[in-house]
Parts: sequence; C-alpha cells; structure tokens
Amino acid sequence: MVLTTRRTEPVTILQRERSLRPDLLLVLPYLALSALGIVMVYTASAPRNELLGIDPGTTVRRHIIFVILGFAVFIAASLIGGRTLRSLSIPFYTGSVVALALVLAFGRELKGAQRWIEIGPLQLQPSEFAKMAVILALAVLLANAGAELKWNHIAAAVFLVGLPAALIFRQPDLGTMLVFAFVSVVMLFVGGTTLRQLAFIALTASVMAVALFQVGAIEQYQIQRVTSFLDGGADRENANYNHLQSQIAIGSGGIFGKGLFAEDATQTNLSFVPEQSSDFIFTAVGEQLGFVGGTIVLGLYAMIAWRLLVAAANGRDRFSQMVAVGIAALLVFHVFVNVGMTLRMVPVTGLPLPFLSAGGTFFIAMSLGLGLAHSVWMRRSPVPDE
Amino acid sequence: MASRRKPGEARLIALGVAFTMAWVGIGFRLVRVQGFEAAEHEDRGEQQRVRAEDLAAPRGTIYDRDGVELAVSIDAVTVTVNPSELKAPGALARLLAPKAGVPRSVLRERFTKPGSQFAYVARRLEASDADEIRALVEERDIAGVYFQTEAKRIYPASDLASQVVGFVRDDDMEGLEGLEVKYNDVLAGVPGQQSVERDPYGNPIPQGESFIDPAQPGADLITTIDREIEYAVERILERALAETNAISGTVVVLDVATGEVLAMATAPSFDPNAFSEADPATFRNRAVADVYEPGSTLKVVTIAAALEEGVISSRTVMRVPGVLEIGDKEYTDEGRHKTRKMSVAEIVAQSSNVGTILIQDLVGNKRHHQYLSAFGLGQVASGDLPAESAGRLENYSDWCDTTCGPSTAIGYRVDVTPLQMATVFAAIANDGIWVEPHVVREIISSDGSRERYEPTERPVISETTARTMRRLLRGVVESGTGSLAAAPSYTVGGKTGTTEKFVPGEGYSEDDRIASFIGIAPIDEPRIVVAVVLDSPHGETEDGSDLRFGGVSAAPVFAQVAEAALHRLGVPPDVR
Repeated sequence: MVLTTRRTEPVTILQRERSLRPDLLLVLPYLALSALGIVMVYTASAPRNELLGIDPGTTVRRHIIFVILGFAVFIAASLIGGRTLRSLSIPFYTGSVVALALVLAFGRELKGAQRWIEIGPLQLQPSEFAKMAVILALAVLLANAGAELKWNHIAAAVFLVGLPAALIFRQPDLGTMLVFAFVSVVMLFVGGTTLRQLAFIALTASVMAVALFQVGAIEQYQIQRVTSFLDGGADRENANYNHLQSQIAIGSGGIFGKGLFAEDATQTNLSFVPEQSSDFIFTAVGEQLGFVGGTIVLGLYAMIAWRLLVAAANGRDRFSQMVAVGIAALLVFHVFVNVGMTLRMVPVTGLPLPFLSAGGTFFIAMSLGLGLAHSVWMRRSPVPDE
Repeated sequence: MASRRKPGEARLIALGVAFTMAWVGIGFRLVRVQGFEAAEHEDRGEQQRVRAEDLAAPRGTIYDRDGVELAVSIDAVTVTVNPSELKAPGALARLLAPKAGVPRSVLRERFTKPGSQFAYVARRLEASDADEIRALVEERDIAGVYFQTEAKRIYPASDLASQVVGFVRDDDMEGLEGLEVKYNDVLAGVPGQQSVERDPYGNPIPQGESFIDPAQPGADLITTIDREIEYAVERILERALAETNAISGTVVVLDVATGEVLAMATAPSFDPNAFSEADPATFRNRAVADVYEPGSTLKVVTIAAALEEGVISSRTVMRVPGVLEIGDKEYTDEGRHKTRKMSVAEIVAQSSNVGTILIQDLVGNKRHHQYLSAFGLGQVASGDLPAESAGRLENYSDWCDTTCGPSTAIGYRVDVTPLQMATVFAAIANDGIWVEPHVVREIISSDGSRERYEPTERPVISETTARTMRRLLRGVVESGTGSLAAAPSYTVGGKTGTTEKFVPGEGYSEDDRIASFIGIAPIDEPRIVVAVVLDSPHGETEDGSDLRFGGVSAAPVFAQVAEAALHRLGVPPDVR
C-alpha cells in the first residue's frame, strides 16, 4: 500500500512517544514555497509600485507579515488535537457563516468591497476561512454518519455546503463556490457515498446552476470569462487579455527562464500581466524561472498533496481522515485551477495559488488547513491495522 | 473498534490517481507552452511592446535670393481630446469653442461620439492660442485634453511670387504647387523611424530595446527671386490688368548673364496661406505653364539667323510688296502698303511681316529651324517649375514647303511660354550666349553643404550679330512699334508682339489678342530681359490707341518694370 508508508516499518513503543515530531516532507515544501512566494511577490509587485510612485516593497512587506502570521497559525494548528478540533468545528463553522453574512451586510454599505472585513489594520476575507469551516463541518458530519451514508446525511451535507455557498454567491465569488463544490464532492466520495448519491448531487447542482443562469443571477462578466475562454478567440475580451498575457509570460520563460529580476523579464517587470502578485503569480515563476522552476514548484505541491493523502490514510479516526482529505482536495483544486488558468487550460476564476500568491487571508487560511492536516499526521494511528 | 477499516481506501487511491493525472496534465501543458511554443510567445511579447513610430522630418525653407523667407515651417500646436476621459464634454465644448475657432455644436458632437478615444479640438493652432487653451484646461484641472506639436507651413510674404513658391497640403505637408511640389523630395527630407518598447501604459521602457533612425531634415532652397523686383513687378502688373482689361498677365524678369529669374509674376494672384479659399485658376504659373503663339517677337530669331548666316546685313534694303501669296495664305503687313523699299532696320522697327518672310526665304527652312531649336524653342526652359511646358516646335521633317516657314518666321505655328521668349531675348542681350533660365540658385542640405546650380550655356549667335540685333531692337523703341516701351532713365530695346488668341476647340478669336512686349535693358550694356505677356486686353487708351496691341498695352508695362528693376539693381541711368 503506497499511501501508508509506515506499514513496512517496525512498530515500537518509542514511536508512539515520538509521534508529535513534525513531518518534514510536508513542512519543508511548505517553507520552501512560502519563501519562494515572498521573492515572487516582490518581483511581480515592485515595478508596478514604482510606476505608481510608491515604495516598491510595499506589497511584499505586507505579504511578509501575513506569512509570519501564517507560520504561527500553522504551528498552532499542528498542535491542536483531533478531539479539540472536532469540538471546535461546529462553532467555527457557525462563526464563518455569520462572518459571511456580516460581510454581505456591510458590503452593501461599503460598495464593492464585499469580500473583505477590516479588523484593525488587517483586511480579512471570511470566504477563505469558510472553505476551512466547510471542510471541518463536513468532516464532523461524515464522522458521525459512519461508513454508510444515508440520504439524510446527503441532505445535511448539501445544506452545510449550500448555506455558505449561497452567501458567497451573493458577493459574488464564483471561484470559491467551485472550491466548495469540488472539496465537498471529494470528501463525500472518499467518505463513502454511493455513486447514485453522487449522481444525485451532481444533478441537483446542475439544475441549480442552470436555474441561476436563467434567473440572471450570474454576473455578466462571469459568463463572459467562460465564453471567452471557450471561444479561444484573440484579445477581444478583458478576460482573454489576462489569459494571453499570462501565457506570453510563461511561454517566453522557456526551459530555464530569464532569471530572477532579469531585465528582459518584461511581462513581469512591465506589469503586462494583471493581478500578477496575487492570482497570476505563477506567471512570474514561469517567466523568470522557466520550465525548471515551474516543475519544481509543481513538484513541491505534489509532495504536499502526497503527504496529505498519507495523513488521510493514517488518520487516527474518521474525522481526522476526512479533514486531511478535505485539505488535500482544497490544495489540489487551487493549484490545478490556478496554474491551469495561467496556462489557458481553464477559465479565469480568480483562485489564488497556495503559499505563493500575495493575499493575506488566503495564506493564513491555507496555513491553518495545512497545520490541521499536519496535526492529523502527527497523531496518526500508531498501529497499522491488519 | 474491532473491525477498524480504512474508510474508502480504494477511493482514496482513486483520488490519488486523479490528482496525479491532473499534475501530468499540467506538466504536458507546461512542456508545450514553455518548450515547443516558447519562441512564439517570446515573439508575441515583443510585438506587443515594440511599437514603430515615425519621426517627422522638418521641411526646408524657401528663401529669396537675399535669404528672406518665402516659405517656412513653424511649430504649431494641435489640441486633441480623449472623449472617454472627459467628465463634462458639453461644458468643455462650450469652453473651448471660441478659442479653437470651431462651433460649439461641432465640438460637442466630436466629444460625445460613443466609444471614441480621440477627437481633434483644433489642428495647428498658433502657440499663443494653444497656450490660452492650455491655461484654461490647467486652471480647471480638466483631464483628457492633449497638446502635440505639429509643423505648419506659412508663407510670410503671402501672395509674393505665390505661383513660383506654391504651397503644401495642410495635413501631410506634401507639396501641391510651385517649387513646393517640384522640389518636394528635396524640401521634405526623409522621415525617421523610431521603434520603442513601451509598457502597457504607453510609457517608454528605459532599458528596453530601442532603435532610432533619425529624421533627415529637408534641404533649404535659395531662389533667384529678388523680392523687391518681384513686389514691384506684381504691383505694376496688377495695375496693368486693371488699365488694359486683360484677363490675366505674366511678367518675367531675367538676369541676362546668369539666366536667373529675378521676378516671375502672374496676375491675378492668390495667398498661399489661404489657398483653399482661392480660385484654383490663379495657382497656375502662366510664365511657364501657358503657351501662346509669339507673333512678331519671334521675328528676332528670323532676323538673327539671317544676319548670322550672312544672307543679309543690317544695311540690306529689301523690296517689300504689300501682299505675299504663298500656298493658300496671303501675308500682309499691319497698315497696308504698296511695294516699297525697306531696310532691315525698318522691317524690324515696323514689324513688317512681308519683309521678315522674304528674309526667312533667304535663310531657308532648314537653317531657320536650326536657329529656332538653338534658341530653345520646343524645349522645357528651366525645369525648376512644375507643369512647365516645352511649347511646340514641329520637327523639321514635318514642315511643309509652302506656308510653314513663312508663318513661323512671323511667330505663328509655334507655341512658346513667356519664359522661353524671355530666354531668346536674353541670348541676344548676352552677346549670343544662350543661358538656361532657372529659379533655384542653391540647395542647402541639412548638413550645411551647399549645392549651387550651374546652368547650361551655349553660343547661339555671334557677338557681332547679337550687337546688331540689339541695335535693331533699340530702333523698335526709338522709331517703331515699341515707342511706349521707352523707360525714363534707361535706353531700352525690344519687340512688340500681337497675335490672335488661339482658343483650343474654337480656333482663332475674332477679338481677343495676346499682347506682348519683350525687351532688353539697358540696351547698350544689357543687364535684364523683361517679358510682358497680357491675355486679351481690351479697350482704348486716352489718345485712342487700341489696347489689344502689344505696343500699346504691354510696352508701357515693360518700361515701368525695366525702370524699377534697374533701379533696384543699382544700374546707373544712361538717359539724361
């Protein structure tokens, strides 16, 4: 069994006591990506800031604060035990839903800034924590449900995911909704839904989507992004411009890239790529570090994903396992959609790249998630069941 | 926990497989974009950064012979707006309309065109007007109004020598008339090109690839025109047109030794600064573009040929009948007479057609034709001016044996331009050396190098013949048809000419004449030739002379022009 590495190793008492040691195969890639993220955010933001007449380091300094906070959150989350977490899950979920509702309420007054709430100097994006909340709540549900899911569990799951999704839909944030959908389907799939139940969920979601589309609740720009992607036409639409610029950036990087801070890394230096320090950070990697750099980054993500699945397979209880599965799904989905977007494989959705993108709340939320999954691994079941 | 089983272990594996496949998909895509398509993306990136821009070349200046500007380019300011940036287009239209000299409604329409990114407020405003607009815009902090420098061609001397200088098209500075079009390539220079890398906001990239091929400024022209003489000539010509009721008129003043055109005037004239409001018929430089049958003025070639060939001398006396019938034509003199004896001097002074035809007969068609050619008939005279006509001199082989020679002898069957005729007389004035007339004396390149024009020269008749001819021409003024050409301060000589006007498609006019006088001054030590050609003068003078005749209408113009020009040139008077 590939995923449960500990099987082949001898089990001793000592290992029980050593079990709180960190998983370096997970921690090191996380640190490496975070460090690279700081460099990339700087290269992608400094020229633009300079052009705007502000200190070139403005963006990266802000990012570094969030990275430090994120590390703290990661360590704290790694130390939280499964039982404590389980008892905190529902309050956390409830809090997130309330926060989303608040954002929506305040957002009306604050015109346009609907995704953020300000706490002191920090702007927080509750929808990022809502992703974690949904994972935790679903994990509780699936743990309670046991091995065989009944239709009422399915209904409860749909409600648990549907409530924050509906709140986010009003913002609107299509990308986050897709995250909810993917993560919950993966968790339900691993959690033991029958294929019939999955089909039912898929059908319901489709009908809902079509209904929303018909009612006109989906914003025009969201439709345009999808259609412009599907058309494959040249520079007509704004969304397509983003695609084009990011593809030029990555493509022109070639095998080895143009080098960090290289003068001819023009897509990055001249801010041709929009939102480059946040959603399109991978283009900075692609242009400056080339195929080699991109492959290493993807390799680091693969390593983390692998460690998360290992944690899931070795979780001491069903709740822990489902948490690890959810986090893995969340990470993989973000990476795939984000990198795929910059490579013109998927439409522009505005999902940031974990640990690399500037964007404070997301870094903290992902660190929290990774920390929770790490905690699952550190408290993995001591004895493999035979 | 007796039967603790891995929950959905198979599904977890399936999930791992799915994730792996997603990574493999991204990997393939990465290989394609960064491996196989890398060069293509690199090119596309460069294409969107590098923009080629034209650098306008400053157009050269046209000067008169003393370095006074006749045509010059100045920097004017063009004001534009980006309508999409305007907050209150209506108010801005109201604000700018009076300054821009454009109706408010027109501006408002330009400013409010949907989706428009560019509109003119006014093109090529003078700097002071543009500054007023700039002040208004800055004072009110209005965004979206832009100022750019554009060259504007102005003609400081307004209508002075306007048919010679010509003018350019406003928007692209292409020459349309006169020297502006003939020397367009010289004046225009060579536009440069600049390729600049720009960021998405249009700012040049400091360390970006850039390539500058600088514009090569146009060369300056120094013309042979003397603005004082030109000015005097134009005033005299205008007055003459009014007094003789002529439709149009042209005067050429040539420096006989150098072939330089000191003045070349055509009336009516126009102001090239506002050519779009002028009658396009006034654009034509009649001194080179219009042809006419020269009539009696061409007799000088016949007589000069005969003298040079030795078939007559100035003392030869001819028996001149009243009528000469050749072929189907009857040739007579103005003011019929019976057969009488006339000296060559009398034949010239009285402009006897019959006498001239008899002399031509002594020369013979072949030699006569050679002299016509040598004097430059049928060939473009200067080549400096656009639409310059070569006139018409039939090939000798096409000449008939009957009337061709005789008619040509007295200035028919030949078409000439006023400049060509002036050049014929200049050769006589210049001791028999024909000098190519020209308007451009020097071309000064942008690097400062000067190229002086060297006109071609050729001897046509001997110095002796030339001197004899001048004596005969002096007689025309002193005791012949050209008495009104006598200038107050200078002795002059010349020849009158009056021909029936040939109207294409209609034949010879009953009433309209081309009246001309071409003369040399001073006649003893010639400095200039003045050719005056009037189209269809009408009426009578106070003493009842018929203004249709060159000796009546054109000769006085010659006298005034010769007097003014020689004064200007500082030639001492030779008449007490």
